[in-house]
Amino acid sequence: MKRISPFLVVVIVLLLSQTGAGQEKFNDVRQQMADSLTAVKTSLRADERQAALRHFADAKKVWEAGVKPMITEGVKTNNQFQEYFDRMAEVDGHFISLAQELESGGLQQIESRVNAMIWAISHHPRGFKVPKPRYTVWDWVFGLGIGIGFCVFAIFFGLHLRRSYYRRYQKQGEKAPKG
Amino acid sequence: MNSDFIIIGLYLVLMFVAGLFFSRNIKSTADYFLAARSAPWFWIMGAIWATNIGFLHGYLAHGGAAYEWGLIQANFEWFQGPFGYILSGLFFIAFYWRAGVYTVPQFLERRYGSALSLIYNLAWIVIFVVTIAAEFYLGGIFLKNLLHIPFWPTVLVLAAVVGTYTLLGGLGAAIMMEFVQFIIMMLGTMPLLFILLHMVGGFAGIKDVLIGQWGVSPQYFTVLPDIHHPYGPGPWIILGQCLVITLGWCAGHQSMVQRNLGARSLYDAKFGYVAAAIPKTLGAFLYIVPMIAAPIIFASNGIFVERADASYGKLIMNLLPSGMLGLFIAGLLSAGLSSISSVLNSTSTMMVKDIYERYLVKGRGDHHYFIAGRVATFAVIALSLLIVPIVLKVYLIMWLEQTLLAMVLGPFMGILMLAIFWRRANAAGSLVGFITGAVFAVLLQQVFGVNIFFEISWWSFVVTSIVTVAVTLLTAKPRPEQLDGLTWESDFRAKLGQILEERAVKNGAKIGEVPKPVVRRPPWYLNIKYWATAILLVQVALLLFFG
Repeated sequence: MKRISPFLVVVIVLLLSQTGAGQEKFNDVRQQMADSLTAVKTSLRADERQAALRHFADAKKVWEAGVKPMITEGVKTNNQFQEYFDRMAEVDGHFISLAQELESGGLQQIESRVNAMIWAISHHPRGFKVPKPRYTVWDWVFGLGIGIGFCVFAIFFGLHLRRSYYRRYQKQGEKAPKG
Repeated sequence: MNSDFIIIGLYLVLMFVAGLFFSRNIKSTADYFLAARSAPWFWIMGAIWATNIGFLHGYLAHGGAAYEWGLIQANFEWFQGPFGYILSGLFFIAFYWRAGVYTVPQFLERRYGSALSLIYNLAWIVIFVVTIAAEFYLGGIFLKNLLHIPFWPTVLVLAAVVGTYTLLGGLGAAIMMEFVQFIIMMLGTMPLLFILLHMVGGFAGIKDVLIGQWGVSPQYFTVLPDIHHPYGPGPWIILGQCLVITLGWCAGHQSMVQRNLGARSLYDAKFGYVAAAIPKTLGAFLYIVPMIAAPIIFASNGIFVERADASYGKLIMNLLPSGMLGLFIAGLLSAGLSSISSVLNSTSTMMVKDIYERYLVKGRGDHHYFIAGRVATFAVIALSLLIVPIVLKVYLIMWLEQTLLAMVLGPFMGILMLAIFWRRANAAGSLVGFITGAVFAVLLQQVFGVNIFFEISWWSFVVTSIVTVAVTLLTAKPRPEQLDGLTWESDFRAKLGQILEERAVKNGAKIGEVPKPVVRRPPWYLNIKYWATAILLVQVALLLFFG
């Protein structure tokens, strides 16, 4: 048993590692795509348009062969993919526009486009989509009422304990009650 | 980048050597688990904040949650955190201190008996192991993204450094290292705020872009949102977080309490806790406010962010110049290592003092348990590393940890409040109440689909309190030794008893055997109540400005 235990530990670690690997792979392919898109900007800044086109092609390849299939598959089982699924058409549109801009567009226009693409495959804060505040009286009656009620209770309970102390240990000159 | 590597390498070596240096005088369990009760208030202050703020509770996970949900995350640093620190410092710590215990479960054992204490202990050990795993994961993923170094070797190096000084030095080394790390954290990470605010035109600039141009919900900038908010409805924050989770965390989290028990006097313990509310308040400016501006930086600079938990690392990697980045990472590593070391030390304390010494191997010499503490520390590191892959699957680490906490802290606050305020509360009532409250919390989450941990904690607190009172009234009263010095009434009696005794002595009379605690009167500028009042006023001002 002693000899088996370390092997069991290793097997468990390997099995558990696999469960987290899917999520990490999705992160890695998107990172790869973002790196290629960033390289498009860098190449253009160095006035290397051919290199920019090559990086653009790399990014598109990763998008089509890596990121997109993972999103379409992932969304079926995991709602964490939903935000990316919702933005797939946006990214496709950006690719079409960027292809045209790489032919004739200015550096600033291309940089903005690339930034928008990278942002589109990034994780967006969920807090952005929370509906506008709809405070009702009940929100605060409910929340503050119990909160303040709790404090009032604590004060009265404290006073009760104070009285109970004086019942047990009378003030100077007073007689202790019997019983 | 090379200079960054050099700074980080130097920092890790320095931590390793300093840890060994601080550990040279550790010879007994009192040294190992309670730092020989020698820490002054400013060490306690630094250590408490450094314990509280790590990769998980602070920069990476809190920062990630702030990126995800907005200013609501500042609740943890403003008002609620300081409220918990101050109330625990002024009130709860005295009970643990006078009871002369090493751990919170020991207090519960004296008041309620061993069954509840054991359950509470085991629940916290599970939470602590998950917490350490989450810290390792966040630290590993952060360094992997930042420095492009492999994940697992990074995690193992972190484990080796923090494990060595905690394992050898115990609480004393941990507290001293935490104080050093507290300073590095503050100095190393504060510049980010000013750089960011300069870039986006101040807080008003962030609002203009996000609400004005992007159409983001105004609730992204609200500290107390409405009741429909999917992450933290305002009323539930007040009830569940402020009254239950935060208080439970400050009064029931072994790592937090243990730092106070290592203080050289009750005054130092209390003042250290209250003073820690100051860096706690500042914490929001280190990792919450910068993350509200982060989406603008990411979108306008084409910075890819794969998940909320990674957003903080991505922000600093792309914003800070070389050299400053290394210092910043050192500050961040300080946060992570201090939290890991404190939880490690606490877990080993609970494992040895409350389980091993109490149930498994009784009556052995002090040296035996001292060595057992070191073995337990090693075992906890190994166990945490094993579950790191599970943590990888969780969408928001913060949510996982807080949900686990809500299931324990709700019931804990129920029985703790009754333990202190209601002399009638007994072992049977608290045991049934705690278990019912914890099961109810799990049912709320798993069966009824309640995912807001503030709400879970509140209802589990309510259910625990009701069930505890009901069962207590149906069962026998607690024995006198389960109350002596452990309830608010007896503490109140001790204070009043002292006043009455002074009066009695003045009048030449005797009033019986009243305990007479030694009272150390500090100068006015170190009066705990003045500081507590000032800090709470600052919280109100912050809530009015940002809320």
